[in-house]
Amino acid sequence: MRGERVLYSIFSVAIALTALLILYPAYHALELSFQDLDSFISKPVWIGFGNYADVLAMPEFWNALGRGLVFSGTTIALQIVLGIGFAMLLDTAIPAKPLVRGITVLPYLLPTIIVALTFQWMLDSTVGVFTQFVRLFGYSYIPWGESGTVAMTVVIVLSVWIWTPFVTLAFLAGLQAVPGELYEAARVDGASAWQRFWHITMPQLRPVLTVVLLLRAIWMFNKFDIIWLTTRGGPLQATEHLPILAYRKTFEMYEVGQGAAVSAISFVILSVLILFYFYFFPLDEKE
Amino acid sequence: MNKLTLGQRSALYGLVCVTVVYSFFPIYWMIISSFRDDNSLYANFSLLPGPFTLTNYEVLLELTDYPTWFVNSILVAFGTVCITLVMSVLIAYSVTRLQFRGKMAVVGVMLYAYMFPPLLLAIPLFSLFVKLGLADTRLSLMISHCTITLPLGVWLLWGFFKQIPLDVEEAAMVDGCSRLRAFVLVVLPLTLPGVLTVAIFSFLLSWTDYTFALVMIGTDSLKTLPAGLDTMVGMYELRWGELMAGSTLIALPLLVMFMFLSRYFIHGLSAGALKG
Repeated sequence: MRGERVLYSIFSVAIALTALLILYPAYHALELSFQDLDSFISKPVWIGFGNYADVLAMPEFWNALGRGLVFSGTTIALQIVLGIGFAMLLDTAIPAKPLVRGITVLPYLLPTIIVALTFQWMLDSTVGVFTQFVRLFGYSYIPWGESGTVAMTVVIVLSVWIWTPFVTLAFLAGLQAVPGELYEAARVDGASAWQRFWHITMPQLRPVLTVVLLLRAIWMFNKFDIIWLTTRGGPLQATEHLPILAYRKTFEMYEVGQGAAVSAISFVILSVLILFYFYFFPLDEKE
Repeated sequence: MNKLTLGQRSALYGLVCVTVVYSFFPIYWMIISSFRDDNSLYANFSLLPGPFTLTNYEVLLELTDYPTWFVNSILVAFGTVCITLVMSVLIAYSVTRLQFRGKMAVVGVMLYAYMFPPLLLAIPLFSLFVKLGLADTRLSLMISHCTITLPLGVWLLWGFFKQIPLDVEEAAMVDGCSRLRAFVLVVLPLTLPGVLTVAIFSFLLSWTDYTFALVMIGTDSLKTLPAGLDTMVGMYELRWGELMAGSTLIALPLLVMFMFLSRYFIHGLSAGALKG
């Protein structure tokens, strides 16, 4: 075909730039994790697996890994349950559907800084609107700045609030694809609403559920900004998970190599999840 | 749809109201707080809007670095959108039109990169920028944002381009168009919705990014809005009125775009355009 040579050259340049932009940094991250560095400008010393040995021997690492699993597990479960609920609701004949759908999606579009600030303002221990609310029930305020459990609950609630619309939209699209005859047939057979949901809707949505579960796992496990902006990993490291540990090691404790090792470990966990994704959803050029 | 009883219908409307309040109340509260003066912010707990004042906005725009951050955000977002559009159109188009071994690997790497969490890329990128002497510049932030937006663009546009049959442009080329003209005049108009979706989400990702901005930029006057607003939290006693005004102004362009372009938003979001 004509013009192929031009196309090939444009393509090669674009690919080279992309590799430089994405693959090289990924490689560089691994490289850093094998070096002893106290800043980005100091001279690197190759120390093999030294950083990994140090990191794996630290209790902080294992605590952070555990907290990350608690955080991502809880947020994913809640997002999926709520998201399916919202999708079912938005799929019924409700008034002003486009508007309601738009409003339900909004939290997902907001920058995390706004969400973090607004919720901090609402949780303010003297004048926050949530504080006023819990006072009606005899509590004085919500101690998210002091109690580790409460802080963890708050970041989980915020994460669920922001990222549930992803699940809602995915399931809403999935619901459109369920053939209506299935429901008709079930109705004729006398199936209850719950039975229809459990025996028709859910099996039909299995593929959607798998992709949502994987993508949520990939993204929630490495979520950094919302936790950092809300609690900075505190109080007393109660909300510090692997990404925050990596950030603090690198930019606050000047252990660049160890920070990179923490990142590299997250990276391996992440890659396993992504490989699962490719296994379940192979790329297909035709569709 | 079968008829609902009155009870079922009220339950349904009740659920809709709960959903709307749940999703919208924090945004509503941010906006009305931004228009209250200190007296009413710290003493008035009415859930209704008012009293109304612009003091917070005046202070924010006159006494803080907010306008500078705003300009930086616009510059970085604009640069990111331009680079992303050009590169992703080129890559996605050539991947669908060229036949060579391993081309699906390109798409695979893009999808892989697209799933990357920002922080994992930010740290090594920063180290590279330090080596290149680019650290702490708006250009470095722009390039970093492209590491998210470019895979997204290629991924979305690949989906668009592969649906356009080769015959369309071959017909144009038989009629004497060059490959470039056939592309610009025939293929591109057909994929305009896709290109627009990529533009919207590249803007959105760059405009809302905090993680890259935190790692890449140290100088206050080079910060973008999300990172800049965050420094205001640390610096002064918490001036909630101004912080809420600042938040409202960051959200405003997004809300306006969402209102007018909601079709593209929903399409892009359903395709997973916002990683996170």
